[in-house]
Amino acid sequence: MKPTATLRRLAAVLVLASASLAAAAAPVPVADLASDREAAYLARVREVVAWRAGMVNLQDPGQGDLAAIAAKLLRGEDADWCSRRVIELMKEPAGDMFWMFPCVAVAFTGREGLSTEAKAAIREAWRTYMPQRGDTENHWVMYYTSLYLMSELWPGEPGERWFTGKSSDENREEAKAFLLHWIDLTTTRGQGEYDCTHYIGEYAIPMLYLSAWARDPAMRLRGGMMLDYVLADFAVENLDGSYVGAHARTDDRGVLETWNNLSSFFAWLFFGNCPPPPGYGGWGNYFAIAAHHYRLPEVVHRIATDRSQPYLHRELKRTRHRWRNSEVRNAPVYKTTYVTRDYAVGSDQGGLLQPIQHHSWDVTWAVPNPRGVHNTMFSVQAHFSAFELQMYFTEFPDWMPEAVTYQGKPSYNKEDKLLGGSPHEQIFQETDTVVSLTDVPAGSTFEHVNGFFSKDLAPMEEDASGWIFAQGGNAYLAYRPLAPYRWVAMASGDRRLVSASRKNGTILQAASVSEFADFEAFKAAIRALPLTVRLEPAPRVELTTLRGRRVVCEYGATPTVDGRPVDYGAWPLFGGPFLNADRDSRKLKLTHGRLERELDFVTLTVTDRVREPGR
Amino acid sequence: MKTNLRLALVLSLLAAAVPPAAAASSGPAHELMLCVSVSSRGQVIGSRARAKSGIYRTTDRRELTHLGYNHPRIDSLTRDPHQPGVLLAAGLNGVLRLREDGSSWRILTGWEMTEGKKVVVDPGVPGRIYAALPDGIALSENGGLTWRRSNEGIARRYTQALVLDRSAPARLIAGTERGIYLSEDRAASWRAVQPSRATVNDLRQSPHDPRVVLAATQSDGAWRSADGGRTWSRLEAVPTTSTLHNIDVDATDARRMALSGWGIGVLVTEDGGATWVARNAGLPNANVWRVGIDPDFPGRLYCSPHESAIHVSEDFGRTWKPLWFEAVTVWDFVFLPRR
Repeated sequence: MKPTATLRRLAAVLVLASASLAAAAAPVPVADLASDREAAYLARVREVVAWRAGMVNLQDPGQGDLAAIAAKLLRGEDADWCSRRVIELMKEPAGDMFWMFPCVAVAFTGREGLSTEAKAAIREAWRTYMPQRGDTENHWVMYYTSLYLMSELWPGEPGERWFTGKSSDENREEAKAFLLHWIDLTTTRGQGEYDCTHYIGEYAIPMLYLSAWARDPAMRLRGGMMLDYVLADFAVENLDGSYVGAHARTDDRGVLETWNNLSSFFAWLFFGNCPPPPGYGGWGNYFAIAAHHYRLPEVVHRIATDRSQPYLHRELKRTRHRWRNSEVRNAPVYKTTYVTRDYAVGSDQGGLLQPIQHHSWDVTWAVPNPRGVHNTMFSVQAHFSAFELQMYFTEFPDWMPEAVTYQGKPSYNKEDKLLGGSPHEQIFQETDTVVSLTDVPAGSTFEHVNGFFSKDLAPMEEDASGWIFAQGGNAYLAYRPLAPYRWVAMASGDRRLVSASRKNGTILQAASVSEFADFEAFKAAIRALPLTVRLEPAPRVELTTLRGRRVVCEYGATPTVDGRPVDYGAWPLFGGPFLNADRDSRKLKLTHGRLERELDFVTLTVTDRVREPGR
Repeated sequence: MKTNLRLALVLSLLAAAVPPAAAASSGPAHELMLCVSVSSRGQVIGSRARAKSGIYRTTDRRELTHLGYNHPRIDSLTRDPHQPGVLLAAGLNGVLRLREDGSSWRILTGWEMTEGKKVVVDPGVPGRIYAALPDGIALSENGGLTWRRSNEGIARRYTQALVLDRSAPARLIAGTERGIYLSEDRAASWRAVQPSRATVNDLRQSPHDPRVVLAATQSDGAWRSADGGRTWSRLEAVPTTSTLHNIDVDATDARRMALSGWGIGVLVTEDGGATWVARNAGLPNANVWRVGIDPDFPGRLYCSPHESAIHVSEDFGRTWKPLWFEAVTVWDFVFLPRR
């Protein structure tokens, strides 16, 4: 049977099998059997592809992007239109690496279905258009993965045939060298753009494409292993599909509506524990094109969906490349995440860990239907500076703070910002307690702290003790501002706590509703916690947490727990019940119950084990 | 060295002797190359560019011709003296080589070198190329086929500016994050000669006297060296409160220089740097990315105000008028002798 015929038959099945959009909006039940999980996964893949292909109005000559073309090619439909549209789109390429990987999707999906002329149009565009390589990790991963795959697709060609001026062999070797470097850095010191609610796609898609389409079996295997790695990294820090805790990058919408992110597309697709975000996350369409080539390891699925017991998880990440204003190229990022059935608390240590879209800590509570729900609470020290931007970008200083607001980061230099790190913020987390201290020098761009209080908190009470008590879903929350504050209503219906003191901070303690007889009991327990707060000369908190640990945090000093300083030197690359990796190990062990998978990038092996009871 | 000095002197005298009308009738002695981002609010990676960015050339100072790729970020370029018709450019994709007709591009650097800021060629050693990068200085000894780092002695390596002493090619001067560094052994080693609080954004060797080198900085104003970069003194009349982007010296008159910067627009001196005045009348704003002094038309300046057209002045900045584009950022005005 010819592949095209297979595709056509498959397409017919897909049409029958694909659910309506309304039906698709419902969360897919978690399947327990491997076969059920696989069937559900493939059904979701087909759903996305069918949806994307169906969005095209063939009568409109200006419609149909590369995702739509790839979807139609995969379904084996409208081949002539696909070819014509490819030729049209290749006349004016634009979008740099965000153009490159869609081209890869079309080129590989259309190996059978595209006309000779359409293939030639793609080939010619890779000579006449020079994409920018970009200035950050996700750019480079997309750029070099795409270049790698296309140089394999078009081998043996001279430099005159490529925008780089380099031959196919040179392009492939350069791309491979970068990818090996990136994998090595990630598996030894962590990702630079770690745990991104959107940019997770910009790593997952290239790795999927490598695993699907690389000719070199070693690169194909690496792609699959890194996809396991990225998804496991997400799985352990998701709560019903929301990427919880600290992120190198998120955005103004997703930081509030935690489900409404591309990351939740992957949760829906792989874990089946949330509805898909609108448009299947946008870039998720490109993942779906090749998703049938990949199967999520069962152990990752179980890590993602088992919230039967609370767990503490630690990770070591790194900052993006620092070009200036730093003694180190990549500073370490120490992440802590505590996850329960009802809520998750996550944080990093604070500071200028990423430019622009950094999110330092939050608590996220589980909700049965996340659409439109702002199921999170956090605070930020509002900060922006050319100093920060010049640390991470190679630009002149004065225009940058405003320039980034035109580049999809509109809140960057606004006083009401709820996104971004601060050099004046120091954070520590002990299970489900967070202490954030701020000490802002006079004359900083902004000196205040913004606390986010969701419209979806009920009840919410300001207590005479100084605590603010609230309930989100099945989580009780106690938020303690360390300095006087005022409330500002937000257009979204939420409220912003604004605390102007330069020496300041926030304490957050979370607990499950099921731990207490009622809200009053929770409040009483919090009020009874031994707590000493001092703001001068430096902010200092001494607190016995709800879990009985005595935490001392002082701005500028190493935090202590029960009298022992936190040992950041011993922080693991991954550490917890499910993911474990030593620094510099190039290995990751995934564990759930009796299931175990080890990703070994040293020997390039994947080892699956099932521990027998009693052994 | 003496030959170079003499040649420079002859060239500058020749250039100075050509009046505007004569230059216009026979054509300017130099072609002007523009490194341009055509975007009103800064280039966003991944966005659809509305107009062609990259390298533009004009030989008659009227018509602009775009060369080759629409590359949104080319920071600087130079001519390879050893390869007729070949340009070298530094930009976001690294160090690039292209022919002067815009064809035959090649990205010379690999994945490990990004966002080139400056590229210079050793006039005495074919194939020897230096690049200023965000993580230091890179050297190729084979025309860009392979590169190695050459940062010995530089602690904080961000490098924005790089000058090769035309009178002594073994000497290089680098503008880094923390000041000016000098190498006298072809970049094998470097020593700090002038500290700064923030990046040294531009270095310019005087076309009149190679011993004179000027620097524009982000936070320390402008400096001048009269001994080839060994020692530096602040140009006291230049404010230190604004970011200076670049400095240029008038090839026709050693007393005239121009500075561009954010918040100060264009600053000029006509007395060798003793006094400086702002010349912004007619400019849409005082945030200027780049200023260039035309070596073929005495008194003519070009500048790139923020979110605006390239402007030209025929009276050394006393009046300005828009000339090219609507809203661009010029990263470099480069004058190359016409071939």
